[in-house]
Order: sequence, then structure tokens, then C-alpha cells
Amino acid sequence: MQALSAKPTRRELSVLLSGQVDSLQSWSAQWDARRLGLHLGVIVAGAGLYGAAVGWWRDPLQALYTAIKFPLIILLTAVGNAMLNAMLAPLLGLNIAFRQSFLAIVMSFTICGAVLGSFAPVIAFVVWNSPPLSPNAGESSGAYSFILLTFVIVIAFAGTTANLRLLQLLRRLAGRRNVSFRVLVAWLVGNLFFGSQLSWILRPFIGSPGLPVQFLRADAFKGNFYETVFRTAAQLFNLH
Amino acid sequence: MNETNPTPPPSPIPPQIPPVVPSPLAAARPLGENPEERAPITSPVAAIEAILRQPRRLMYQLRQPGAGALMLYLLIIAILCAVVYGVVVGTFSGKDQLWIAPAKVAGGMLVSALICLPSLYIFACLSGSQARLAEISGLVMGMLMLTTILLIGFAPVAWLFSQSTDSANWMGALHLIFWFIAAVFGLRFLNAAFSHSQARSNAGFNTWVVIFMLVVVQMTTALRPIVGTSADFFPKQKKFFLSYWGDCLKEGADAAR
Repeated sequence: MQALSAKPTRRELSVLLSGQVDSLQSWSAQWDARRLGLHLGVIVAGAGLYGAAVGWWRDPLQALYTAIKFPLIILLTAVGNAMLNAMLAPLLGLNIAFRQSFLAIVMSFTICGAVLGSFAPVIAFVVWNSPPLSPNAGESSGAYSFILLTFVIVIAFAGTTANLRLLQLLRRLAGRRNVSFRVLVAWLVGNLFFGSQLSWILRPFIGSPGLPVQFLRADAFKGNFYETVFRTAAQLFNLH
Repeated sequence: MNETNPTPPPSPIPPQIPPVVPSPLAAARPLGENPEERAPITSPVAAIEAILRQPRRLMYQLRQPGAGALMLYLLIIAILCAVVYGVVVGTFSGKDQLWIAPAKVAGGMLVSALICLPSLYIFACLSGSQARLAEISGLVMGMLMLTTILLIGFAPVAWLFSQSTDSANWMGALHLIFWFIAAVFGLRFLNAAFSHSQARSNAGFNTWVVIFMLVVVQMTTALRPIVGTSADFFPKQKKFFLSYWGDCLKEGADAAR
């Protein structure tokens, strides 16, 4: 394994993406302000570019708002769940410090941000080739569905890649597959639960042509994601 | 007399030597092993020779410090060849298409490569490749150069059909076929380069190839018309390529009736 210099470099992104577990393990063992700054920078830039490409379909102003919101969701999820994740790890058999759990999650989000950022030009190209959003649902529904599906596929790929790398690191830290898998699932459940509500509050990301472009909807803090899903399901099955 | 362990009878079956299965991505010889590969490439003509006859030499030279000049040669040759082929494409309609088609062919090629370059770098890193961004950029330029050189090879055939065919749909399809054949060779060069970069798997590269092909094909629709004529440089209506091809086929069928 090549020895890495103490100073973080652009090669570190390559090491992070290729999942060199020895390096990731040593990085998670110590605070390094410059490395942390690099990781946060990649998250902000990568997720921000992707968000801008997504929001651009509605309006350039929406592009700016979504460029702010995507990294915000990632960073708030990492920070908001930091203590919970740090406590869950030892409870589930992985005896690591707060620093290690936080840095491991930041590294996985960095991978996610890098992948999202790399696909931003492709998404921007897809949006550029799409008919503009129309208030008439029938006019752009096919394109809308295709674009949404493309967004989701890229986000799913970025998330899966990031979590695979995180699982590799947890396996090295835990030394046992079942412990690493338990911890990953627990962290995922917590982050998805928290992140989905953050996404609900911070909507819209694309927006509707019938509504004005806003950073937050007026009812952002009224109701929650799971209430809405439950209500929709109840209406679907005529239970409400 | 001490008893000795009886020697087991010789087995009729010869001992099985476990087969050495080379990694599918392991290169037979490392780059630079052959002294010819270490000879620097100092001119555009040498770059063309290298990519056709000694691609390993080009791959090796792109890794060396100061490969900037070589990358510039690759880029300039790719642009020039794309422009020349674009002129051949434009001869179908003539007049303004003689400059519009080359501008669109060269510009579209460069923009498509730029759009897809970041994701190629990410896929390379995810596969464990040790290639740097500069090297990957150089390899992409090499791929573009090989593709466009091969298109120049098809140019006489394309020109001949341009002069003897009235159907823009037919010519469009022919140009796409020529581009596809040329792109296969270009991507083969890129794939070979990746096999020397310690990538553990080529799944990411294969995925990227699909993305790249889709982007290029969509670019031809985004920049339409390239074969035919139009009052506007860029089309006013946005369409995905499948929809556009369907419309073209329908128009062609209606015209034939």
C-alpha cells in the first residue's frame, strides 16, 4: 500500500473511491482538519452541482435553491444523527469512538457526493434535452417520469456505492461480518428516517410549474413525510 | 529389521496442477517494457502512427510527465478530423451545411466527451484504477482521435453516398453506422488502456460506455439537423432521440406513399 503524505491531496479522493480500507481505517482514527475540509468540500460541490442540474429543469432560481438543499440534507443528516450513530455502534458490537463513526459516515457521504457531482453534467444534458415543465400535466408527463427515474437511478447508484465502501470499512473495524452488517443497517435506517423528513421539510427540489419558485413551501413545518405517506396509502385503500 | 512405511502405489492419475487463471484485466506485459514504447511521441504524425500501430506506446507516453504536448496533438487531430468529416456530412445538403455540419460534429463530439469525462474518472476510481485525471483525459482524447481518424477512412464512401442519395434519413443512418464502427475501435483502445491501470473490474467502464454512447446519440438529436437543413442553428423543440427517430421514420414512410 502506498504511504500517503500527511497532507490531504486530490489523490485522496481516488483512494476513497477505490475503497483502500487500510487508508480509510487510518483516516477514521484521527481528526485531520484539512482532510475533513476536503471531504466536506466534495460533498458541498458534488451534491450541489447535482442539485443544480435537477432544479434547473424548473427554473435557474430553483437550480440555486436545490444546489443549496442537496448538500444541506447530507450534512444535516450526518451531524443530526452523529450522536445516535456513535451510540448504536458499540451497542451493536462495534466498539468505536464518536470520532470514528462520524468520520466513517462523512467519508461515505463524500463518496456519494463525488459520484453525484460526476453525473451532474449528464443530468444537465438530460434536462437540456427535455421539454420544459408544463402546467398541463399531460404535455410533459412522459418526460417528467423519465427524468425523475433518471434522478432516482443516479441517487440510488451513488448511495449504494457509498454504503458498499462504508460496509467494507466497518468490516475492517469490526472484524466480523454480522456486526458490521448490523451497524450499517442501523445507521442506514436512522439516516434514512432523519433524511427523509429533512427532504420533506426542504421541498421542493424540482417544483411545480403551477406554484411559484420558493426556497421552502409555506407549510414546510406542517406535517411530516410519514404522515403524508400514510394518508396517501389510506386514501388509496379507501381507509380514510 | 525396522518396518518402513510402505510406499503408496503410484497413482494412475497425474497430479492436478491448479490452473493459473489470470485476472481478466491483467495486462500481459506492463507498459514500457518494450524499449519502442519508451520512445517519446514528438509530432502529430507520430501520434497517429502510434495509435494505429503502437497503442501501448501512446498509453505509456500519456503517463509520463510532460504529456501535455502529446494530449494537445491528440485533441487537435481529433478536432481537425471531425471537422473534415463534418464537411463530408455537409456535402449532402451543401450551402450553409458545409460549415454548420462540421461545427456541430466537432463541437458535439467535444461537448459529449466533456459531459462524460467526470463520470469516467469516478468509475475508474471505483474500479481501483490508479490512473490520474490527466491520464484519463489523455486517453479520452486518444479515443476521440482514433474514432475520428477512422471516420476519415469512411469519408470517401460517405461522400459518394451523399452525392447519389436524396434521403436525409438514409444518410443520417449511414453516418451513425460509420460513427458506431469507428467508436467501437476507439472504445477498444480506451478499454485496453484501462486494463493497464490496475482496475479490478471493468463493470464500471462498461456502464460508462453505455452512458457515453447514449449521450453522443442524444447529442446528434440535440444538434439537429446535421445532414438536412434548417433555418435555425439549434432546434426549437426538445426531443429525445428515440422520439426524433420515430418522427423521421414516419415522415419518410409518409413521403414514400
